[in-house]
Amino acid sequence: MNGGMIDSAFFVTWLTGAVRLSGPVLLASVGEIFGERSGVLNVGIEGSILLGALASYLACYETRLVWAGFAAAILVGLFIGLFLALLYVTARASQVVVGIVFNVFAVGLASFLYQASLGAAASPEIVPMLEPLRLPWLSSLPLVGRIFFNHPPVLYLTFALVAVAHVVLFRSRFGLSIRAVGENPKAADAAGVPVERMRYVGVMLSCMTGALAGAYIVLAQVGMFRDTIVSGQGFIALSIVIFGRWSPWKAAAAALAFGAADALQLSLQLFNSGIPPQLLLSLPYVVTILAISGLFGSKARQPAALMIPYVRN
Amino acid sequence: MARFFEERFSPSNSQAAVAVTTVVAIVAAMALASPLFIAVGADPLAGYWALLREAFATTRGFGFSLVRAAPLTLIALGTIVSWRAGFGYLGFEGCFVLGATAAAWLGLHASAGLATGPLSLVVFLPFALLLSFAVGGAWASLVGVVRARFGGNEVLISLMTNYIAIFLVQYLVSGPMRAPGGLPESARLPRETWLPFIIPGTRAHAGVLIALVACGLVWTLLRKTAVGYEMIVAGLNPAAARYGGIEVGRRLILAAFLGGGLGAIAGLVELLGVQHRLVEGMSGGVGFTGVVVALLARLNPVAVLPTAIVFGGMTVGADAMQRSVGVPSSIAFVLQGLIVLFVLAGELLRRYQIVFFPLRSRARRKAIV
Repeated sequence: MNGGMIDSAFFVTWLTGAVRLSGPVLLASVGEIFGERSGVLNVGIEGSILLGALASYLACYETRLVWAGFAAAILVGLFIGLFLALLYVTARASQVVVGIVFNVFAVGLASFLYQASLGAAASPEIVPMLEPLRLPWLSSLPLVGRIFFNHPPVLYLTFALVAVAHVVLFRSRFGLSIRAVGENPKAADAAGVPVERMRYVGVMLSCMTGALAGAYIVLAQVGMFRDTIVSGQGFIALSIVIFGRWSPWKAAAAALAFGAADALQLSLQLFNSGIPPQLLLSLPYVVTILAISGLFGSKARQPAALMIPYVRN
Repeated sequence: MARFFEERFSPSNSQAAVAVTTVVAIVAAMALASPLFIAVGADPLAGYWALLREAFATTRGFGFSLVRAAPLTLIALGTIVSWRAGFGYLGFEGCFVLGATAAAWLGLHASAGLATGPLSLVVFLPFALLLSFAVGGAWASLVGVVRARFGGNEVLISLMTNYIAIFLVQYLVSGPMRAPGGLPESARLPRETWLPFIIPGTRAHAGVLIALVACGLVWTLLRKTAVGYEMIVAGLNPAAARYGGIEVGRRLILAAFLGGGLGAIAGLVELLGVQHRLVEGMSGGVGFTGVVVALLARLNPVAVLPTAIVFGGMTVGADAMQRSVGVPSSIAFVLQGLIVLFVLAGELLRRYQIVFFPLRSRARRKAIV
């Protein structure tokens, strides 16, 4: 490592990157919180992100409209959610099993559809992307302006969604019902809460924000599609939910911590630290493992009925 | 609808019901995947025929199917050992590449270190198997320790460890183990370390036998030994197992070690049987397909063999189809995923029975009430 590396330019690049990279995983984890609070661990979120990314890429490729990409991702996400909820909730299959198999299926489908629609020979074409939106006044603040307020609009919307999700989850009747069916479905059922319907809603929200996160990656970060584009971000979103103790605003903090690890890796490569890039690339995963390993801090208490299908009798 | 279907008190587990729902699932999956063939201008029926014929009706093709089935079998067996003990391990991609790396390292250094004479497979293979197994086992038991001692979620942690292992191997093949030349890959292993072909006229290598032996060993472990029994009990009901005097944590870590070791042997088989040098991206999703095979075989070590051959054959057939008809070979993943998803959905069917005479049945039910 060279001595002049740790200076303000390094820190600004690093922290800006941290905020930028936390966006998609945070978006995916907000919906996943609703899924898990309702009692369903949606491991298939990785596949949802991938198919959402493909849908948004193809829609944007055809129409050259960015909003069409996001709309396509929402539709695809809701459809995936319906399908997975059928397996998780109605067929009462093991949630880890369904999720893992769905992810294998999603990789196959995404790479098939991408090759079939564009042809294997076609070089990946960049689609229109969201421009960074400099928020008036805020973006001219020193340091903070550059780090927090010079990002694509979806990032601001994601953080706004965190606030909305927090209010909905903890301050509304709907949120209470979601939490009730995830903690004690029997009692919720007795109180007249439709357990299966709430879980369908939870899974569909989870898949929808997952697909939107895929659209986020394509339309605000990369501008093109490859079937390696997601590379475990769905699994990281699942970890963020645990690390964030199933609460939206704590998940936001967890996502920023993950983003910081991911961006540190990029910055160190950029500033030529001499550490092999592959070892730096594994840094975010190491940080995520340590965060959810239970080695530090109190043990996470998950929703009591998480991963347990409900049978009324 | 409700007139013709009646919910059972418990799902039907008769052999006939399981067979029927599995066949229905496979047909439904193939039907649902048909539009994908049509989308690229191919005839679905001809496509499926081409897929099956290449993989199962030609000697050479079937040899390839066995070659693909060997690592799938080993990973599926690893899944069975760990999952049966209640350890939902999903880090087989990582174990696979680490096992291959360990074998490659030994293969590249053994001939130099051996002063006694020329290297032979009979001497090399046992050491390679031991080293690979130990490396993969140690890697997976780390996650086992985290789960048993600190209560971390092994599903997610093991998913993350895949990426770390893959990056580690990428580092090795582009740095310390890189052979001089353009591509990031190791030097080719000496020919003495290659697994020999066992069926004339095909590429089926001795790794197939390793997978067979492993299958027998896992079956014996789970069905005939006390340790295996304790692992299964610990997986079914940890509290009852602890009450019965079984050290649940230790059994879990042992299951993790065995599972990871089997995953690493899959990597060894692929390296010594097919690749003969360490390359980037060797696993290519086999660590997950192997888990899917184990699930479709209902975590039964004997049922793993035919399932792995069918799944291995699907990828062989799909590759052939890509060459001949131009249908992207990822159709194999689509089919494999859909089949298992529909088998899972088929559980729903087994929970209902058809009512042939709705009125009489309703009258009878009233009489019971």
